[in-house]
Amino acid sequence: MHGEYKTPGGKLVVVDLEVNQGRLHNVEVSGDFFLYPEETLTAIVSALEGLPAKLSEPEIASAIDRATPPGAEMLGTSPEAIAIAVQRALRDGAEGPAKT
Amino acid sequence: MNQHTPITQVVTEVDERREQRWKQYAWRLLPQTLFDPQTQVALDETLTLAVGRGDRQPTLRFWGWSSRAVVLGRFQSVRNEVNADVAAEEGIALVRRISGGGAMFIEPEGAITWSIHAPEAMVKGMTFPESYAFFDAWVIDALRELGVDAWYAPLNDITSTGGKIGGAAQARRGGAVLHHTTMAYQMNMELMGRVLRTSKEKLIDKGVKSADKRVGPLRQQTDLDRDVIIHHLIGHFRARFGLAEDTFSEEELRDAQKRVDDRFGTTDWLYFLP
Repeated sequence: MHGEYKTPGGKLVVVDLEVNQGRLHNVEVSGDFFLYPEETLTAIVSALEGLPAKLSEPEIASAIDRATPPGAEMLGTSPEAIAIAVQRALRDGAEGPAKT
Repeated sequence: MNQHTPITQVVTEVDERREQRWKQYAWRLLPQTLFDPQTQVALDETLTLAVGRGDRQPTLRFWGWSSRAVVLGRFQSVRNEVNADVAAEEGIALVRRISGGGAMFIEPEGAITWSIHAPEAMVKGMTFPESYAFFDAWVIDALRELGVDAWYAPLNDITSTGGKIGGAAQARRGGAVLHHTTMAYQMNMELMGRVLRTSKEKLIDKGVKSADKRVGPLRQQTDLDRDVIIHHLIGHFRARFGLAEDTFSEEELRDAQKRVDDRFGTTDWLYFLP
């Protein structure tokens, strides 16, 4: 399952995932955003892995936000933007580029 | 006499403090040297760490491309960005760099790329977005001297009335900052369109249907040879901040080769995000 979201004036975030027993599984987050430090990506992915698929966008965003180490910087994307991409992946279902 | 400080004077003082951030260092130039794309991305890390340790003075390095390449951002997925079959057919190397940002399709004479390797102290007190604009401000000025109506478009683009020219990206390592920028000199839109996959989602916000409508390669805008433009950039930097020509040390080249072998040349690194 594949979802994309481009922050207006910012960058693209892409989420690929599966759902296993109602939970997010094999989550991959990619895109042309910037993260400092780079390891922040691992923290974001770990936060998403295993989350209940029925969570709302704000709940997903706050899980990402909580997992982000203090002092880490996201440029061009945000916990909210990543949460939108997660929701789109869950909704769109099918593999492949986002439908417009 | 006016008791308030004139606004022009305030601006000048801010500008002067920015100039001082550059002028405080004894800058070194590593002129364009041909390396394969994997070695180029490894050198970014080697030299940034060397500056962080104090083994190398802050450095401006121009890249020389020995082959066609797609250079992926640190966090991009290969399959989302590249048509791998086209890359293989056309002899286009795939590499992943250490900085975030977007994929670039590079042909040896088609782009002008440079890296700035500087102590992190140089951008102390600046936000990340401020530091992006700061590191490319001199280039904007140098382009204007060539008659290009260029400006910086946050977060990381150099653009102009003639279209987008290039983009920058940064990474931080060991107390040093890497800021590198690629500008389009001459573009092979046909091949770029085939090898790069552009997401529809991305084009929504740009409000354009085709990626080629928003680029303004420098050859088109200046009618100057690529080397003449590079020479001008170097001359501008030298006159403004000082710049002494340098060479790679044996140790730096060995370190970069080791990083290619251990990391940048491996499928684990390239397909870190498949």
